[in-house]
Amino acid sequence: MTIFNRAAVRHHRERAARSFGDFNFLFTECAERLGDRLLDITRTFPTALDLGCHDGAMARFIPPRSAVETLVHCDLSPAMAGLAQANSGCLAMAGDEEFLPIRDQSLDLVVSNLSLHWVNDLPGAMTQIRRALKPDGLFLAAMLGGETLKELRDALTTAEIEREGGLSPRTSPFAEVKDAGNLLSRAGFALPVADTETITVSYADPLKLMADLRGMGETNAHALRRPSFSRRTTLMRACEIYLEKFATGDGRLPATFEIVYLTAWVPHESQQKPLQPGSGQVSLGTLFLGDDAEVS
Amino acid sequence: MTTHGVDPKLLEILVCPITKGPLDYDRAAQELISRAAGLAFPIRDGIPIMLVDEARELDDSKTKDN
Repeated sequence: MTIFNRAAVRHHRERAARSFGDFNFLFTECAERLGDRLLDITRTFPTALDLGCHDGAMARFIPPRSAVETLVHCDLSPAMAGLAQANSGCLAMAGDEEFLPIRDQSLDLVVSNLSLHWVNDLPGAMTQIRRALKPDGLFLAAMLGGETLKELRDALTTAEIEREGGLSPRTSPFAEVKDAGNLLSRAGFALPVADTETITVSYADPLKLMADLRGMGETNAHALRRPSFSRRTTLMRACEIYLEKFATGDGRLPATFEIVYLTAWVPHESQQKPLQPGSGQVSLGTLFLGDDAEVS
Repeated sequence: MTTHGVDPKLLEILVCPITKGPLDYDRAAQELISRAAGLAFPIRDGIPIMLVDEARELDDSKTKDN
């Protein structure tokens, strides 16, 4: 199924790579949070892939205890891959999450910072990631979730219905956290965990938010999006609605980013797992009543 | 620019994105060649571009010589 126009996703990132340093705050923040999660894991990861790397911020936040010897940045946009390599000095390639060019069982860690929400076939991408990892390899990702930009979407939707008498897909449909855990299991991962955090960014002006989204390369890449720009009057009305409905006491405008974190492991015999039903060696009666319990 | 090649570490983990089969490194042309897919992926500034729409289609006559 094609939800996103991947050529548009790539084009937006190619364009964003030119001045990404001015707009990378959300990626830097999430890279740091992903790094914090790695800090909680005692395993080491000699070979790691940074999938959907953007400017390579992840390289700065992988903790020393993870003992990554080889980090490879990968992005759909060759310009972003080049930027990541220049920033971190690590290896880089251009590659598509939907057609992962990685040998089976060659990686210890795949980390993905705010990129997988633009993938059409998320189960397919997860399966390819699982195959690229060695047994007991870790997949750790942050992606934008369904509450992201709820204020902007509300304002644009309301304005468009009012002014243009119809609706076109405008912001991206995001994954729900409850789906994400299931997808990980279906892709063959063990011990899947999905959880969310909300980051609220405060703006003085909705147009600045839209400019930021463009700078981040996160503007609409919906396959069914309108080819033309919105009418100016519709955009202006959306800004009014944003102010009317969402402005806080100090007149600032909140923009919600919901971050869905995924953690999952490639199955390995060392991992904890439930016992087979019927494999118990001690009866519950003995446990609760002592050795001489008779259970009838 | 083709002054520097691809890092061997990268060559170790890369496969063809379509077939997941092996790639041949053509150092002179700075390309990674997937014979199964009939595609040559360019390497720019040491960065392999593993995108199908950036790849060159191999013509059969040339493939046999290599």
